[in-house]
Amino acid sequence: MQAVVVHPGTTERALRASAAATHLKPGRLETVLLPSRTLTAAQRIAIYQEMYPLRMRDALASDYPGLEHFLGEKFRDFVTAYTNAHPSRGYTLNRLGDHVPSFLGRQGRLKPRAFLGNLARLELAITEAFDSREASVLQAKEFEGIPPAQLGRSRLVTVPSLRLVELSWNAGEYLDTVRDENHRHPKPGKSQSFVAIVRRKYSVYRFPVSQAAFLVLSDLKEGRTIEFVVQRALKRRGSRRASADDFSEWFRAWTAEGLFSGVRKPVKK
Amino acid sequence: MANRFGFKDLGIGIGLRTVHYPHILSKWPKIDWFEVLSENYMDTGGRPLHVLDQVAERYPVALHGVSMSIGSTDPLNREHLSKLKTLADRTRAHWVSDHLCWTGVLGRNTHDLLPMPYTEEALTHTIKRAKQVCEILERPLILENPSSYVEFADSSMPEWVFLARLAEEANCGLLLDVNNVYVSSFNHRFDPVEYINAIPADRVVQYHLAGHTNKGTHIIDTHSDHAIDEVWKLFALSCERTGPVATLYEWDDDIPAFDVVLKEARKAAAFRNAGKARRHTRTAASGPARLSVGAA
Repeated sequence: MQAVVVHPGTTERALRASAAATHLKPGRLETVLLPSRTLTAAQRIAIYQEMYPLRMRDALASDYPGLEHFLGEKFRDFVTAYTNAHPSRGYTLNRLGDHVPSFLGRQGRLKPRAFLGNLARLELAITEAFDSREASVLQAKEFEGIPPAQLGRSRLVTVPSLRLVELSWNAGEYLDTVRDENHRHPKPGKSQSFVAIVRRKYSVYRFPVSQAAFLVLSDLKEGRTIEFVVQRALKRRGSRRASADDFSEWFRAWTAEGLFSGVRKPVKK
Repeated sequence: MANRFGFKDLGIGIGLRTVHYPHILSKWPKIDWFEVLSENYMDTGGRPLHVLDQVAERYPVALHGVSMSIGSTDPLNREHLSKLKTLADRTRAHWVSDHLCWTGVLGRNTHDLLPMPYTEEALTHTIKRAKQVCEILERPLILENPSSYVEFADSSMPEWVFLARLAEEANCGLLLDVNNVYVSSFNHRFDPVEYINAIPADRVVQYHLAGHTNKGTHIIDTHSDHAIDEVWKLFALSCERTGPVATLYEWDDDIPAFDVVLKEARKAAAFRNAGKARRHTRTAASGPARLSVGAA
């Protein structure tokens, strides 16, 4: 029954496909499922088969509204291809779309592929931030117990919702316009940007950051010490390099944005 | 008649749905209780869980799941059950329910409530699994009768016999979805009154009511409308047997404003009370309740 329900073609084709035919010879359906007074057995199982792609489509459209908007009519075929490659194997549909960015990377027919990949990575990061564990936000008093000499060896703990996304196409700009049909939707174009995504008071926010700030945040998220992060950032070149003045401004802004949940003091040796 | 588990009659409730969050959080409306779709709150630390925590502080809640897949031949999903128990403890849920169905096999999940063949083999299998679930959850499992669109040639007993025997032998409670009884009776041409009369009344912990979509040749359980009169009549008939039991109106598609759903749910009050009154005037020897509805 499952082999027919999840088959993307007609019920007749589904019954003939190997997944179903292995268990039941074509033409023998009514030895397993009864007809009703008004429907054949095939028409009855088709009710389930018709609902399956709608359910998959709803789940993916909920997590990827930008992708759905951009693909339009092609979104249906995309859902079919995707759920064939990555069927739901969990108890929740919340994780159905986890493989969309990597799947799009392998789809030559959907273009521009790199733009779609960027859009999907951004939307997945937003979903992950939405569902992430709640955590308290760093308070200034948490620094009070740390001697200045030890501050450099301390680590700032980023909130669980923080996601950092590097984009090479204008996916963020496109996503900004999706919910407003009166808005002019930008054509896909190459445009490098760096985005931080965070959830505050149960709402998800995303904001652009410079490349230098993006790299510093990435290092902090990986759990590097403050000293290591600062030294590394000062040694980088070009737009990747941070200046000493940047840090006080960034940390003030990032603390206000709620990007940190605490500070880990150095372990005593 | 109180149910044998001692679960309270929570009164009349509706399902907690995202579109109603702003109304609920701003008005804290007068409603007896909320039913919560378990899987929507198990894997999020975000706003849905935050809303649920607030709701559970102010109202009684019961958890209702769609992914237990009690009839599947795949192993029970221990992670799912563990998270379900955690959520039930967190919300102080009055009970935990799911469906008599399977949702997938071979590791795949269709996320549909697929019907089972009603055979002795399937019954033995499901009883064993239901007992395991009760042990893991450390509380009785409440199972809901599904609506269905196919029947298996191998079935050797009607759904109501399967459900009643399962409930008795695995010591489960029942969530009797009266609309599902009506939908399946139309699709499979059985007498819904016979179904209602066969349900062990003291195991009914909760009712579901809903609207459906009649396609002429069959009915789809869409939860997208008001309940039809025949469903209300079946509900009243069942209330005669069970007495007032926690009642929940489901509206999941084209969901209208909170007050519209609540108004539909509150129609249940009259039927619950009428059922109660008739039950008091009926003698024990008067036999099963009788009713003629169009689907039979």
